[in-house]
Amino acid sequence: MNTSTRVRKIVIAGVLAAISSLLGVTQLGFIPVPTAAGSATIMHIPAILGGIMEGPLVGAIVGLTFGVFSLISPAVPVKDPLVIVLPRLFIGITAWAVYIGLKRLNEIGALIVAAAVGTLTNTILVLGMAVLLKYIALPVAVSIAIMQGLPEVVVAAIIVVAVMLAWKGIEGRWLRRRSDL
Amino acid sequence: MQDFAFLRHVAIGQYLPGESLIHRLDARVKLTLVMALTIALVANTSYIANGVLFVICLGLIGAAGLPLRYVVGVLRPALPVLAFLALFQLLFLGDASVVTTAPRLVFWQWGPFNVTSSGVQLVVISLLRLIDLTVLATLLTNTTPMAYLAHGIEDMLKPFSRLGLPAHEISLVGVITLRFVPLLAEQLETIMKAQASRGANLGAGGRLCFVQNTRAVLVLIVPLFLDAFRRAEDLIVAMEARCYAGGKGRTRLTDLRMTPADAVILAAGLLCSAGLVALARRFPF
Repeated sequence: MNTSTRVRKIVIAGVLAAISSLLGVTQLGFIPVPTAAGSATIMHIPAILGGIMEGPLVGAIVGLTFGVFSLISPAVPVKDPLVIVLPRLFIGITAWAVYIGLKRLNEIGALIVAAAVGTLTNTILVLGMAVLLKYIALPVAVSIAIMQGLPEVVVAAIIVVAVMLAWKGIEGRWLRRRSDL
Repeated sequence: MQDFAFLRHVAIGQYLPGESLIHRLDARVKLTLVMALTIALVANTSYIANGVLFVICLGLIGAAGLPLRYVVGVLRPALPVLAFLALFQLLFLGDASVVTTAPRLVFWQWGPFNVTSSGVQLVVISLLRLIDLTVLATLLTNTTPMAYLAHGIEDMLKPFSRLGLPAHEISLVGVITLRFVPLLAEQLETIMKAQASRGANLGAGGRLCFVQNTRAVLVLIVPLFLDAFRRAEDLIVAMEARCYAGGKGRTRLTDLRMTPADAVILAAGLLCSAGLVALARRFPF
C-alpha cells in the first residue's frame, strides 16, 4: 500500500464513518440477542479497519462515530457517554498497535489477532465502564462478555480478513486499470 | 428485508430546497441547537420532558415545511427490530431507573421476567427519543446545504485549531461521511438484490437465530466495504489531481453571517435545553 497522505486519511476516515453510520441508521449493525446488552454488533469493524489501514487517528475518529451512533440508537439501553462513547475511541488504536506489531510475522495472523483485540477492546472496555459506573453487576457483565463477545470476535475476524485480502487483491488491479485510461 | 427499496429512502443526508425559517437559519445556529436538544433528550427520562421535546420536534418539522412522513420514514425499515427490542426491554428491564414520583407498579414478576411501570416508561421514552433524534438529524441535513454545513462545523471548531486541531480536515471528514451515507445505502440495496437473486438467504432465522442472522449480514457487508473502498480511491485520486492541500490559507466563496433572528432563536433554544437539563430530576411524571 502507498504511504498514507493526509488526503487518504481524510477520505478513508469519512468513508468508514459513513459505513458505521449506515449500519447504525438501518439497524443492520445490531444483531438482536436476548441479553441485557441488547444486541451484538458489527459496527466496530469499520473502526478496526480504519486503525489497520490508516493508523490510530483514523481508527479513533471512526470509533467516535460508532460511539455517537450507539448513543442515539434504541438498540442500546444504556445512555451514558462515558460508557458508550469513550471506550470506542480505543478500538482502532489497539487494532492498529497489534497489527503493526504482528505484521512482520504473518499478514493473515496479524489481521485476525488485530480484529480479535479490537473486538475485545470494545467488549471489555464498554462492559468494564458499565460495571464501574454501576449500570450492571459484574457476573452479568461477564456472562454478556462470553455469550456475545466470543461470537463478535469470530465474526469480526472473518470480515476483517475477507475485506483486507480482497482489497489488497483488488487495489492493485483497480489502480492499474485506471492508469490505462 | 423483504422490501429491497427501503434503503433508497434514507432521509438523512439529502438536502431539500426551501425558503422556510429553518432553511434560512445560520448553519452554526442549527448545529448548536441540534446538539443542545440532543443533550436535553439524552438527559431526560420523564414523560413530561420527553413530551415537551416531542412537541418541539414536531414544531420544527412544521416550521421547516417538510413532510412529516418523509422525515420519520427513515425509521420504517427498523420497525421489526425496534418492536423486538421494545418487547425485550418491557419483559426484562423492569428495574430501570426513570424519573417519576409515581410508585413503581409491578405488573408481572416470574423468574427472569420483570414487567413494571418503570419498564413501560423506559419503552415509551426510548421510542420518543428515537423519533426525536431522527427528526433532529434529518432536519439538520434536509434544511442545510452541504457546503454551509461543512463551513459551520469548521467555524465552530476554529477556536480549537490553535491547540493543533485540524478544523478544516475534520469538517471535511464529516462532509464526506454525510455525502456517502445515501450513496452507500443505494449500493447496499443493489448488493441485497444481487445476493438474493443468487440465492443468498437474507432475513431468515427470525430474531433469535444468531448464526443465521450473522451469515446473512456477512454476504452483504464484505461487498459493501469493498465498494466503499473503491469509491474512496476514486475520491482520493480526484482530490490529489486538483492539488488539494488542506485547510491552511484556504479562502471561501460564501461566508456565514448571523442575523438578529438567528441570535434570538439561538438564545431561545439554549435556554429551553438548559432548563430541561437542569430540571431533569424534578419532573413529577
